[in-house]
Amino acid sequence: MTSEAKTHAIDISSMQRDSRILNLEDETLALKVNDLKLSYGDNEALHGINMRIPKNRVTAFIGPSGCGKSTLLRCFNRMNDLVDDCSITGEILLDENNIYERSVDIAELRRRVGMVFQKPNPFPKSIYENVAYGLRIQGVTKKRVIDETVEWALKSAALWDEVKDRLHESALGMSGGQQQRLVIARTIAVKPEVLLLDEPASALDPISTLKIEELIHELKNDFTIVIVTHNMQQAARVSDYTAFMYMGDLIEFGVTDTLFTNPEKKQTEDYITGRYG
Amino acid sequence: MRQSFSEWTKSGAPWVWLNAGAVAICLIMVVGLLSLIAVRGLGHFWPADIVQTTYVDNGHSTRLIGERVQTQDVPVEQLSDSGIKVTEGVETMQRTLMKVGNRDHGGTDFIWVLDAFMQDSSKPDMLFAAERREWGNFYGYLRSIKEDGKEVAAHQGYDRSAEYEALWNQFQQRIERALNIHDQIKDIEKGQIGSINYELERLRLKERSLQLKEVTDSARYQAIDDRRAELNAEYESLQGTLLDLYTAFNRDSITAEISSGKIVEFKVASVVRAFLPNEMGIGGKIGHYFAKIWEFLSDDPREANTEGGIFPAIYGTVLMVIIMSVLVTPFGVVAAVYLREYAKQGFITRVIRIAVNNLAGVPSIVYGVFGLGFFVYFLGGHVDDLFFPEAKPAPTFGTPGLMWASITLALLTVPVVIVATEEGLTRIPRAIREGSLALGATKFETLIKIVIPMASPAIMTGVILAIARAAGEVAPLMLVGVVKLAPSLPLDGNYPFLHLDQKFMHLGFHIYDVGFQSPNVEAARPLVYATALLLVAVIAALNLSAIQIRNHLREKYKALEM
Repeated sequence: MTSEAKTHAIDISSMQRDSRILNLEDETLALKVNDLKLSYGDNEALHGINMRIPKNRVTAFIGPSGCGKSTLLRCFNRMNDLVDDCSITGEILLDENNIYERSVDIAELRRRVGMVFQKPNPFPKSIYENVAYGLRIQGVTKKRVIDETVEWALKSAALWDEVKDRLHESALGMSGGQQQRLVIARTIAVKPEVLLLDEPASALDPISTLKIEELIHELKNDFTIVIVTHNMQQAARVSDYTAFMYMGDLIEFGVTDTLFTNPEKKQTEDYITGRYG
Repeated sequence: MRQSFSEWTKSGAPWVWLNAGAVAICLIMVVGLLSLIAVRGLGHFWPADIVQTTYVDNGHSTRLIGERVQTQDVPVEQLSDSGIKVTEGVETMQRTLMKVGNRDHGGTDFIWVLDAFMQDSSKPDMLFAAERREWGNFYGYLRSIKEDGKEVAAHQGYDRSAEYEALWNQFQQRIERALNIHDQIKDIEKGQIGSINYELERLRLKERSLQLKEVTDSARYQAIDDRRAELNAEYESLQGTLLDLYTAFNRDSITAEISSGKIVEFKVASVVRAFLPNEMGIGGKIGHYFAKIWEFLSDDPREANTEGGIFPAIYGTVLMVIIMSVLVTPFGVVAAVYLREYAKQGFITRVIRIAVNNLAGVPSIVYGVFGLGFFVYFLGGHVDDLFFPEAKPAPTFGTPGLMWASITLALLTVPVVIVATEEGLTRIPRAIREGSLALGATKFETLIKIVIPMASPAIMTGVILAIARAAGEVAPLMLVGVVKLAPSLPLDGNYPFLHLDQKFMHLGFHIYDVGFQSPNVEAARPLVYATALLLVAVIAALNLSAIQIRNHLREKYKALEM
């Protein structure tokens, strides 16, 4: 156990962000949020959010419980549509197209914007079938293509070596951390552009958490990642940009290092220094 | 240490005793019920000893031969009121129900006799019992065997002797021979001639349908006529074979002495089996017992259902339940999916749900009436008009039958499946559905690939409950398809194999029919118990197989415990 922990300690040091100085103005944008308001019945949960999420970067949403960070995340792939009395105004642009346009095919949108949830939710199928699920939904039937994609996705999720000999066993027999990485593999197997992670490590033990964090670092080369976390250290470790939200408002958004070392707003400073939340 | 009553109450001990007591009472009642029908039903097949006795009543003395069935005590007043001379100074006297058989000679085959009037009871070895195809059991002493009316062997006397045994063995051989011929005859009559008749009927319908369509192509009529001629020729030749077989079948007969001392004659062909119960050892009795049980399970009924087996009823029950399950499962699941997954949850869905739940409480006879009025007369009538005009005026589907019975029971049990499926659907974690949706699956794909498979154990629970309810239902079936005696099985070797339009036999109805509609109540009573036991066993077997499937599915989709 100690040796394993040590290797992770080394990995974390290698996880330092790019040495060049990040600047939001120079980034290509993946998602643009314009004056997004969301209410459940009469209760407004998001009060006009404006935000730019850069491509191939990790953006973290932090804030106290109930501040609307998960709600905002679920707007990016329209998961909130499943809630009965939820109404949304404003727009979210993905490649300059509003995803709340009537003509948008929601299934297609969710293929482009994948999501991993707080609790691991593998399907009661084999490991292989879990990863192949998205492909089969898309109508891919060639076994060779599916085999290759499954292998690629499991390798990308750093799971291949652990499961390659039991691909056809039930996914429910895996540990929690493995299940969560399987869910990530399942999500990236359909090659989305954006990967939404909703507190992906909150139900996991510290070692599994480290593995997930390493993985996020690896995946950012291929995907735009948005992660919701209530763990500020985690946000500081894995993200390039951080958004601090409070009571349904976006308080501050900026480069992670700046936000944590030199916040502009008093509320942000109070939160990151642990004065409330 | 003494405990006060209030402390004892507070400790919960009485509560535990109450709970355990309730469970114990349930268990005792179930076990008691099953044992009662098992003992009464299964005891019937045991070969009872035949008693010979001298019955002295009012100075008259008669010989009585029969099986003891049952004894009871009766008050002497009741006896003296009916003019019987009773012993002085006693309050009750014991009387016995004797099965004396020989209905063709005595009129009744069961009589009550007073034990006190019986003298010199004995169980002679050579008294034989014969089960016959008609007139019930025969009891008596074998006297002679005749072939073509000429005596070939004979023996007088009542005691066991080598000659008597030789005569008996010859009788057994001749029964064996007759049974063989009987099997051949049955094979030809039911199998081959049955098929020919079935095909002839189809040809007639085909011809009629050509006429109705006003087809004038004589070649097609010719083809039908040719085939008919062929079948008729085949029939003639079979008829010839049958005639020979019947002559051989009826060759032998025996004479026997009955209790009154009269010598009677009957054909060996009418005997199903003959045996010497008093001479049988325990092994022989056990063998006889299992042979009788096997006959009960595998044979057709005889003598207004009071003898023989109940195979067609088992077959009909199982087939009907299977067809019902095949109909009710998809129907119930689809309805539940709409109610739970697609319909907007609100006042109307609540009302519908309450209505569905209450539908399960509607008395089953109401479903029977509905099935008869709507399915049989309305739907069946229209189906006949559209698809079977050639058979008219005889109805094809416009009459009670297997299909309508299955559909009526499917309707009766669909609420159970809907409720169970809905229950299962609500228990699928939201996270699993969202996981599928987040991968770009539509709601439909999520339902088909993830949600319904995961809910399948709950669906099976619904099906199990539906089977349990449908298999025991009798009242609606009496209106929509069950009969006392069906001439053929609803699934057989004649095209199209499954005859959904035919009437069928059912164990539940069989119990009612044998128990309450039988001309021979005493003979039928044990069969009521045996059939009831079998019905319970059939339902248990159907349920157990469904439970097996459910456990398998549970094992496969055990993610629900997340």
